[in-house]
Amino acid sequence: MIEFSGVNKWFGSLHVLRDISLTVARGEVVVVCGPSGSGKSTLIRCINGLEPFQSGRLLVDGTDLADRKALLRLRTEVGFVFQSFNLYPHKTALENVTLAPIHVRRLSRAQAEERGRALLEKVGLADKMDSYPHQLSGGQQQRVAIARSLCMQPKIMLFDEPTSALDPEMINEVLDVMVGLAREGMTMMVVTHEMGFARKVADRVIFMDRGAIVETAPPETFFTAPAHARTRDFLSKILHQ
Amino acid sequence: MVWFYLERIFGYWPVLLKGMGMTIGLSLLSLVIGVAIGFGFGIIRAGRNRWAARALGLYIDFFRATPFLVQVFIVFFILPQVGIELSAFAAGVVALSNMAACFIGEIVAAGLKAVPPGQSEAALASGMTRAQQMRLVVMPQAVRIITPSLVGQFVLLIKDSSVVSAIGLLDLTRSGWLIVQSVPNGLLVFGIVGVGYFIICYPLIHLSRRLERRGQAAFL
Ligand SMILES: Nc1ncnc2c1ncn2[C@@H]1O[C@H](COP(=O)(O)OP(=O)(O)OP(=O)(O)O)[C@@H](O)[C@H]1O
Ligand SMILES: [Mg+2]
Repeated sequence: MIEFSGVNKWFGSLHVLRDISLTVARGEVVVVCGPSGSGKSTLIRCINGLEPFQSGRLLVDGTDLADRKALLRLRTEVGFVFQSFNLYPHKTALENVTLAPIHVRRLSRAQAEERGRALLEKVGLADKMDSYPHQLSGGQQQRVAIARSLCMQPKIMLFDEPTSALDPEMINEVLDVMVGLAREGMTMMVVTHEMGFARKVADRVIFMDRGAIVETAPPETFFTAPAHARTRDFLSKILHQ
Repeated sequence: MVWFYLERIFGYWPVLLKGMGMTIGLSLLSLVIGVAIGFGFGIIRAGRNRWAARALGLYIDFFRATPFLVQVFIVFFILPQVGIELSAFAAGVVALSNMAACFIGEIVAAGLKAVPPGQSEAALASGMTRAQQMRLVVMPQAVRIITPSLVGQFVLLIKDSSVVSAIGLLDLTRSGWLIVQSVPNGLLVFGIVGVGYFIICYPLIHLSRRLERRGQAAFL
């Protein structure tokens, strides 16, 4: 579904992705963790072409990311959830969710709203359809953002630290939605330090450091017997904070 | 004495009315053209084509840095030298809408840049084209941010339109000049002209203030 081979990216002279090779199969859930600045965001932003890269090859759902023409279509198949939600402040929750389906997927308003309402109900926001983002809590906003991505019926969902801007008591309401999604078989790549989530649903955990993938392992192995010293170092830091 | 003059001034009400009509018509037409071009300018100024943005920036700065009277003279006296013959009204509209477009262009560009980049990223990530992203997501938010300054700019435009009386257009200011030829009380005549401008502009100033307050209430 997602296939990196030898991908390199620089920001000026800063080498942010070093020779990334990684395959994610359909229905797989992959959690990415690593210290700040290690390139986690950059990695998943490459997958829907929000970041270009300089060398290597990246195939997503059979589309080569080098083909900038296919990019628009590809983005309709890949949902992206941001750390800072990025809901449209001038639109209600329902309008946020239906905007792209109406204008990009060319659904009728009625169809889009039917789909949108069902999704907002699914993420537990049946009573917030007509609220504006500023009237919602962070956790509610992030759930709207997830519904907004799902409304395009994507084949892949990418999450960039979806809970790290949230107050602790709101983290679980968002994680629960993501766990549900994973159990339904969605292909997911999730940048997060929520190790409980990783243990529960991840098929693999990836540890990144300084632009490179240092270690990839199933969660049990990753947490109990990490192979690399840097991974152990990192785990002891985040588990003891 | 004052009553005597007032009566005579109001004897000229058709001239005053005509002048006011001209001021409103000229401003309104220039406003519509200036807004249309100004939004185009703003999109280019905030756009990704650096060279287009810079070239346009130079053009805009030229008109922001020269007195409007000089611009009117350039359009009215210099363009005919290169074969472009314009009536006084057309010259007034060209000069005014050009200046309005320049100021509005900078306001729009600032508004577009004030919309957080996460907004266009979210739009792009959902598969929208650049045009859809602008039309559906970024521009509506920018317009909300800049509406108070835009309305403020409209007030400046109406006031600046008085400059076109210098090329012989019978606007509100020039109607004052005409009346003062036969009613030798400048203070009174131009007091009334001033009130004319006030009547047109005050509602706009009021509107701008209300929008500003409402704008602060929106979003947060
Ligand atoms: N637009 C940019 N221009 C220049 N450098 C950038 C840009 N975006 C990111 N970087 C740099 O690239 C490196 C990787 O950034 P990235 O955001 O991918 O890290 P991250 O692992 O997501 O970190 P965090 O946990 O803080 O989100 C960092 O050193 C960052 O400073
Ligand atoms: Mg990041």
